[in-house]
Amino acid sequence: MPPTRTTRTQRGATKENDENAAAPARMTRAKAATLNVDELAMPTKALQSKKTAINANPTRATRSALGDVSNMGKVKAAEAKSKPPAKAAPVSKAGPVSKAAQPTGIQKKPTTSRAPLATKETSKKPEPKRSGPGSIGSQKRKAMNPLSSNAATKDHTREDGEPTRKRLLKAVDDEKKADVKQVGASRKESAPAPAPMPVVSEPVERYIPQTAVVLDLEDIDDPLMVAEYANDIFEYLRDLECKSIPNPQYMSHQDDLEWKTRGILIDWLVEVHTRFHLLPETLFLAVNVVDRFLSEKVVQLDRLQLVGITAMFIASKYEEVLSPHIANFRHIADDGFTEAEILSAERFVLATLNYDLSYPNPMNFLRRISKADNYDIQSRTIGKYLMEISLLDHRLMAHRPSHIAAAAMYLSRLILDRGEWDETLEYYAGYTEEEIDPVVVLMVDYLARPVIHEAFFKKYASKKFLKASILTRQWAKKNAAVYGIDDIHLSLDEIA
Amino acid sequence: MDGKRHPNSFQQLEKLGEGTYATVFKGRNRQTGDLVALKEIHLDSEEGTPSTAIREISLMKELKHENIVALHDVIHTENKLMLVFEYMDGDLKKFMDTQGERGALKPVIVKSFMYQLLKGIAFCHTNRVLHRDLKPQNLLINSKLQLKLGDFGLARAFGIPVNTFSNEVVTLWYRAPDVLLGSRTYNTSIDIWSAGCIMAEMFSGRPLFPGTTNEDQIIRIFRIMGTPTERTWPGLSQFPEYKTTWQMYATQLLSTILPQIDPVGIDLLQRLLQLRPELRISAAEALTHPWFNSLMGSQAGQRQHAQHHQAQQQQQMMHPQGQGGYQQVPSQGNYGAY
Repeated sequence: MPPTRTTRTQRGATKENDENAAAPARMTRAKAATLNVDELAMPTKALQSKKTAINANPTRATRSALGDVSNMGKVKAAEAKSKPPAKAAPVSKAGPVSKAAQPTGIQKKPTTSRAPLATKETSKKPEPKRSGPGSIGSQKRKAMNPLSSNAATKDHTREDGEPTRKRLLKAVDDEKKADVKQVGASRKESAPAPAPMPVVSEPVERYIPQTAVVLDLEDIDDPLMVAEYANDIFEYLRDLECKSIPNPQYMSHQDDLEWKTRGILIDWLVEVHTRFHLLPETLFLAVNVVDRFLSEKVVQLDRLQLVGITAMFIASKYEEVLSPHIANFRHIADDGFTEAEILSAERFVLATLNYDLSYPNPMNFLRRISKADNYDIQSRTIGKYLMEISLLDHRLMAHRPSHIAAAAMYLSRLILDRGEWDETLEYYAGYTEEEIDPVVVLMVDYLARPVIHEAFFKKYASKKFLKASILTRQWAKKNAAVYGIDDIHLSLDEIA
Repeated sequence: MDGKRHPNSFQQLEKLGEGTYATVFKGRNRQTGDLVALKEIHLDSEEGTPSTAIREISLMKELKHENIVALHDVIHTENKLMLVFEYMDGDLKKFMDTQGERGALKPVIVKSFMYQLLKGIAFCHTNRVLHRDLKPQNLLINSKLQLKLGDFGLARAFGIPVNTFSNEVVTLWYRAPDVLLGSRTYNTSIDIWSAGCIMAEMFSGRPLFPGTTNEDQIIRIFRIMGTPTERTWPGLSQFPEYKTTWQMYATQLLSTILPQIDPVGIDLLQRLLQLRPELRISAAEALTHPWFNSLMGSQAGQRQHAQHHQAQQQQQMMHPQGQGGYQQVPSQGNYGAY
């Protein structure tokens, strides 16, 4: 017999360190995760005391613990203090309010969160005044100057998990760029099956237009691009898409929940995701799992957070090389649920979804389009933020991941004044400007309204993400009227 | 795949094998009488459903192909998880042991198996799945001499560009040199290397690179394929496991080491066993290699017929009594593939 898979048996015990040692690029992320994991598994004194202090309000405790991740730590602490203590022990209290959805907390949120952010915005000095997309470009670039492209690359790649490629295989990219070729109009793009859901603008069969540049030829020598399978794979993903879209009307059968509570849950999951240093794919999958589960099952308010944490637990197992231990998930939900409850929820969720986790992650499509955009870091980073709006704004749920990715890149390029949506972009995105438009309008609508998902806003207010949330919000407020949005003083919850 | 099926829908027969995270039994569907393989997953009381099981189920539900073992059903009860697979008579390792000449198979069988193996791999790759653990024990064979990929416990879906993954994949003997050198950005080529190792093994009856440790494995590969240098493999020195102390071996002719293989077959093997992952042939391309031209016409139907014909011959050779699978089932270890 050949040596058995030492790999599998060792997995639990020693793998973590090996893996970290093996890949410097990934190490930062993985190591950070490990560190956090330790910290979480064995709460330090500081954490413990914090916990007891805020014991009465589980959600708050978690949030302030999360504060150190963003650059808003101090604000957080102050905020936590000013919060009225929320209701404790949701399990024993049969009241309809869970910790994920503390009404007092909710109402406070917009005001408390916006005050500090407002000061931030003003102190951020030369926020350019722009009237329209046309004039933004030069000013914007100036505003972003301090983030030299090097720094930006570093930040971004760490988050994205793409860097090793550059290190290992000295990218022949540059040479290859030179011989980008034109190809005739004979090859087909995907011809997706009709979607069952109200998905706007079905992409139809597309032919490569004469003027579109076929980029996969550049990648022939780059194994990471899997050039020989790229077209087949994207075709396949497009077919898979319609099967993984949740029922966008599921709230109508949820007696205990509303879109607003879902928004609070997802915002919290964004925080958890950041805290655990997980891959972007994991967040998208987790939210997809939540929504597909809620499409099938009626959930009580006091169980909603359990669904959320379980979805993140499952998504991590599927996507991550190292998924955090269950104790971390229990802990981050402030021990509101036992591990046994999470495990039992895991089985129930998996069975409900028929173990189907084949969700075509929008990150795949974003990277695909970014390729046609010369992997411009700025437009992709802003695009990532815009794409994540689709997680928080339920109105975007009905749209295919590829459609969301296309709209995100389109709007990002518009805000950054990166030029036309040409045929190459259209081909790689799979959508024309016209098809993209309705999704873009929704994104602008979300951006222009008052901030209600503060963890999400703060995550992307950091330098690492090029202050995407601040930048795009300012742009959207100025341009809302152009998109026919005239009630931007009302929040998403208020217009629901 | 309703998940509501009761475990009692299946009669549990003898144990077929025991893996690291599962036990496989032969089973019979009480309603239809059909044979199945029941893979019982050990549920970790601490971490719940293993990630290997989650990925395996999710991916295998998607991968419906004649050269991939079919997952019929998932049965989930309070304390166990049972996967119901189509029944296969045995795995390639056992097949070689029992049917080969000291393990070596007839060229015509090797060709058919290689073709089916590459078809299964190509299908996985087209559906953005890496198997990551191809080896004879994970390739299942039935009495019709159909070959199917099994055990997707290490498989995963990949994106483009491919993300970084764990390098603790693939059983040592079939592990690609770039992975041995510590690469975590491998792609579809990882499965191709394994296919090359399997091809050589089917011809010779012995594993091509039976290493004992990571280091020994690398050296064994270099002894035959030649020690690479920064010149023959640009970027080589960037690998975490790169050593300046490697002994320099000259490249040997595969045709000398494997005289059983005809020149066209050697050409294919050469393309499968490229040290540099980017130079390895893809499965889709390999399927069009001239070596397969002799597979009695290129139409699938004809090929099926040919396989069937071979199968019958083989059946008779193996089972004069004309019953059951091609071998008696030993007690353990041979059906880990599910």
